[in-house]
Amino acid sequence: MADTPEPGGAGPSSEPPASGIPESPTSGASAAPEVRKPRSVGLILTVVMAAAALAGVALFFHSQYYRSPSGTLVATPAGTVTVNGRTLQHVNLAFNTYPDSTGMVNGKPIHPSGNPAWPAYGPTNQFQVPAHALVTVTVRQYDSGGTLNNPFFATVRGTVGDVARVNGKLVHSIDPNNVGHTFTVRGVPGTDPGFFLNVPFPLVPGDSQTDNGKYETVTFSFVSGSKGTYAWNCEFPCGTGLDSFGGPMSAFGFMSGFIHVV
Amino acid sequence: MAEDGSDPLPELKPFFSRAGGKIFIIWLAMTAVGVLVGIYAPHHLLPTMLSTQGTKVWQTIVLFTILAAPVAAFVYAVGLYSLLGWKARGFGKSDEPPPDGPSLRGDAPMTALWVGVSAVLVIILLVWGLGEFTAEQTTHADTLEVNVTGQQWLWTFTYPDAGNVASRSLVLPVNRPVQFNVTSVDVTHGFWPAALGVQVDANPNTVTVIQATPDKLGGFTVRCSQLCGLYHSLMYASGSVVTPQKFDAWLRGHGAPVGKAAEAADVKASS
Repeated sequence: MADTPEPGGAGPSSEPPASGIPESPTSGASAAPEVRKPRSVGLILTVVMAAAALAGVALFFHSQYYRSPSGTLVATPAGTVTVNGRTLQHVNLAFNTYPDSTGMVNGKPIHPSGNPAWPAYGPTNQFQVPAHALVTVTVRQYDSGGTLNNPFFATVRGTVGDVARVNGKLVHSIDPNNVGHTFTVRGVPGTDPGFFLNVPFPLVPGDSQTDNGKYETVTFSFVSGSKGTYAWNCEFPCGTGLDSFGGPMSAFGFMSGFIHVV
Repeated sequence: MAEDGSDPLPELKPFFSRAGGKIFIIWLAMTAVGVLVGIYAPHHLLPTMLSTQGTKVWQTIVLFTILAAPVAAFVYAVGLYSLLGWKARGFGKSDEPPPDGPSLRGDAPMTALWVGVSAVLVIILLVWGLGEFTAEQTTHADTLEVNVTGQQWLWTFTYPDAGNVASRSLVLPVNRPVQFNVTSVDVTHGFWPAALGVQVDANPNTVTVIQATPDKLGGFTVRCSQLCGLYHSLMYASGSVVTPQKFDAWLRGHGAPVGKAAEAADVKASS
């Protein structure tokens, strides 16, 4: 294609400029010769800058990857147990729900950047349990509450027997108008997509606080799924704005988290 | 006409006649590639379609891609040839910018061809699209209603014809039309069972209706297609198309997870 003429047949720059604009005096023969940088320098600079920009983006996303400010709560071994004829490892897990995320638990703040109007799970929102084990969870629910926006989540689902104990009483569901929070877990891609667990916690009447001693105790057991990281969140609209799904419901570390199954 | 009043076409015709063959070859090759992509790429990019609507979506994607291939290929062929064959020589060696090409006007046959081809393609797409859209609006007597509720960040499904059985997974009988009544209880979500070939927003305080007829057995995934918050990327549900017998049995089991019975309460401590 080297012999292909240029469109329009324009030749070298011997013709006067089509625009009619006079040439700059600095472009005349008497001007000092311009020192031009080699094109390779520009190319190298472009590549380096592009690589730096990509590295910056990668570092940004890496820094944004969620890490719990309160660490991970590892389930404590409790021997073995037989479930439907299968012998499984048995572990216990205990956590609470608080109405004030600035409160202190074991000398540590529930959330380092908490807000007194934001509820939170504590002492952390990240848990670790073994795979295919019976996990018995004990929750102290200190918060007030209200009505679910979807009664589906008032029913216990995915636990052993699809039941839980509220203050020692066996329940399959609770009143959807008196819910404090829910602990709702789902499998995510790469784990067990069919895994689903939902346990509603009844509210504590009144505007309770952590230190007033009032709470509801909920216990339940479930068989953990395959290894991987499962997501959980609260399905009671306990946040702010956005139909109460803003604030603590839309920020990591309060009403949502992960279960690491190892 | 060129800007200086002269007719540039006679001067340019030798270039076009010489380049035309090469552009045609590039166009032909790129058209072939586009057609092959249209035929084979959906097999790798789309899920296995489990409904008549999904099959139509598949066919539409294939048809539109094949029809678009020669048009896109022509643009790319001319662009590629211009980039390589007509690039300015000696760029960077002089302060003089390369001269502009002549302004081309008045090629009526080419204009008519371009407008005509475009019009035919658009009319084909319009007729096809309206036909498919009209078919979507047909209602059937044995339609199964499923209420779909999106909320941050889960889908739930209830079956009003079966005592409001509620489920976390979407289970459907094969060869029976389904009407999805889609809503949200908080922000806007997007109900998107891609394998069923339907997608519709789930808006709060509004019920949006969309239909599909599953015609193949299999599993699929329901995703959220609207950025809806913290766990949007994790907002999905599993779905399956089963035989009518299995569907009835599943309903009688009150929507227990398919293939994974809830653990019975038979727990005995071993140690």
